[in-house]
Amino acid sequence: MLGFLRGCSAIWRRELAGIFMGPLAWTLLVIAIALQGLLFLVYLKTSQGDVDLALRFGFGESWAFWALAALFPPLLTMRMISEESRLGLLEYLLTAPVSDAAVVLGKFAAATSFMALVWSSGLLHALLVQAAGVAPDWGAVWGGWIGAVLVSGLFCATGLLCSALTNTPVVAAFGAIVLHIVIVILPLLSSLTEARWIQEAIARVDVLDHHKATFLVGVLDSAYLGFFVVWTALFLYAATRSLEARRWR
Amino acid sequence: MISVQSLTRVYGSHKALDAVSFEIQKGEVVGFLGPNGAGKTTTLRILAGYLPPSSGTARVAGFDVVRDSIEVRKRIGYLPEAVPLYRELRVEEMLRFHARLHGMERERTRRRIGEVLEQVQLADRSSQLVGNLSRGLRQRAGLAVALLPEPEVLILDEPTSGLDPIQRLEVRALLAELARRHTVIVSSHILPEIEAVCPRVIIVAKGRIAADGTREALVRQLGGASHVRLEAVVGPDVAKAKALLASIAGVSQVVDGGRVGIHHGFDLVCDSDLREDAGALAAARGWALRELSWRTPSLEQIFARIALSDGIGEASGGTGGSTSGVARTDAATSPAVALAGARLEFELRATPATAAAPAAAPAAISGAAQAKPKVVYNLNPFDGGARRDLGKPKAIDGGSAERKEP
Repeated sequence: MLGFLRGCSAIWRRELAGIFMGPLAWTLLVIAIALQGLLFLVYLKTSQGDVDLALRFGFGESWAFWALAALFPPLLTMRMISEESRLGLLEYLLTAPVSDAAVVLGKFAAATSFMALVWSSGLLHALLVQAAGVAPDWGAVWGGWIGAVLVSGLFCATGLLCSALTNTPVVAAFGAIVLHIVIVILPLLSSLTEARWIQEAIARVDVLDHHKATFLVGVLDSAYLGFFVVWTALFLYAATRSLEARRWR
Repeated sequence: MISVQSLTRVYGSHKALDAVSFEIQKGEVVGFLGPNGAGKTTTLRILAGYLPPSSGTARVAGFDVVRDSIEVRKRIGYLPEAVPLYRELRVEEMLRFHARLHGMERERTRRRIGEVLEQVQLADRSSQLVGNLSRGLRQRAGLAVALLPEPEVLILDEPTSGLDPIQRLEVRALLAELARRHTVIVSSHILPEIEAVCPRVIIVAKGRIAADGTREALVRQLGGASHVRLEAVVGPDVAKAKALLASIAGVSQVVDGGRVGIHHGFDLVCDSDLREDAGALAAARGWALRELSWRTPSLEQIFARIALSDGIGEASGGTGGSTSGVARTDAATSPAVALAGARLEFELRATPATAAAPAAAPAAISGAAQAKPKVVYNLNPFDGGARRDLGKPKAIDGGSAERKEP
């Protein structure tokens, strides 16, 4: 167990270093911070000074949030396995004394912590508002941040799975983005149909609603937490198995 | 230390390894030798815990490579052929990452990084990006990474491929030094590399072990055809001279090497060095000697023969019998054939153009070598014809060279 965590943390640190050594991470950060900051001003105006509502927009009530959440993780994870496989680095990594699961988990943790950093711009907005004299609802702010991290964790896991399935980073990114778009527009589909059972089935797997209904309003519900943890774990497990399957090819 | 039992690995329908078994003791230095695609890399990958075998078992230091993969990986230093290293890290960072993967303590990490960098002579490049290193330096960085956790077994896949001759010499010297401290497995398709470093050689061909033993044992077992080479002016009666040479005690066979100018060449197949006897005979007969030398087949010739017998098997439509069988029977039953194989190999290397006419080579082997002309299928519509012989020069002005030929 200790060895597992040690391997995880080594790979997590390496991957984070890899992310930040490329230009991509900085580009993504600039885009996210500029966009979120700009939109926060817009939200503030449209909500006529309702700070909590404006912050909620930044953490999941707006389309901009979901666009970033769907697009960024695949860009981070696309190279993590597919490119390493192409460069032969997997042969290096998988002959080091770390298990496949530790490799996947370390990479997943790196991508998710980068996304956590991206969403931290919302925390910054809350701080600014506080400094300006209006106390935001900090419970909702932290809840929104945690929810946002969980959502991007799930999307990082799917991105990692796509990366493990192919040897071409672009294909991995494309597959993951398509999957994420489907996930995000799933609630729209449910409004198209009258069938009750379809609507209920969609509600069961509706990522948007699971985020908005609890985390965004500052409620930490274990059932909703479980929803994200279980789905993320499922995709990570699939990614691990697919990494293992590479040895058999 | 390493115990491999009937290891088999299948890629789709292709059998890369076919029931390979061998044992390697602690402290041994073993060279894996074989033509490309013989199964060397597959074997090493299985030992390193990267690929699972389709069947059979492999144990390293008593641990099964599949069931106790992590334990095995802790004990090996594996350097794949492509030398995969993170290009965006500095040499030192790469080493530190590897130390972290192995769970080395901070103090030991620092000490070991200094030691291995010294060992591979990269100490002055420790803060350079791995991606900016030249091929030879990257190879050394890879070696440093593999050596860092002081592994019991060192597995190096083609450590000299892609290096220039000087870098090769350096790596070879490094290997010789490592051989003193570790159990080392080195693979290569270049024989001098192996011959220079490894006392024990395992020759792999077509997924099977064709030969296994020390260099001397292999030469003795498979070579067979050590001979005295004699070139002299023997006058018009070659047959008589040949008979005279054959009458020397200990000579089992005389192979007529053909006329070279006014001289005539003979190969006296014998087990011991009979140069003095042959020289005395020449002196007694008044032959003007040009060459008198004792030749034992090198490992290279044995290797070439195994690789060639590979080709024979294919050319004749696979007449059955394993590759190793072909190689052994060749050597055992007909020293002349073995000799010719060795010579053919030499000629192929020296002058490809004249290889077509080895005067004394038995037709079987020269035929096999000629049966496979180098033909390329050309899809370029501007390069006349769909196929052409690579041996012939291609004229630039649309095949006038072919027209000149009778």
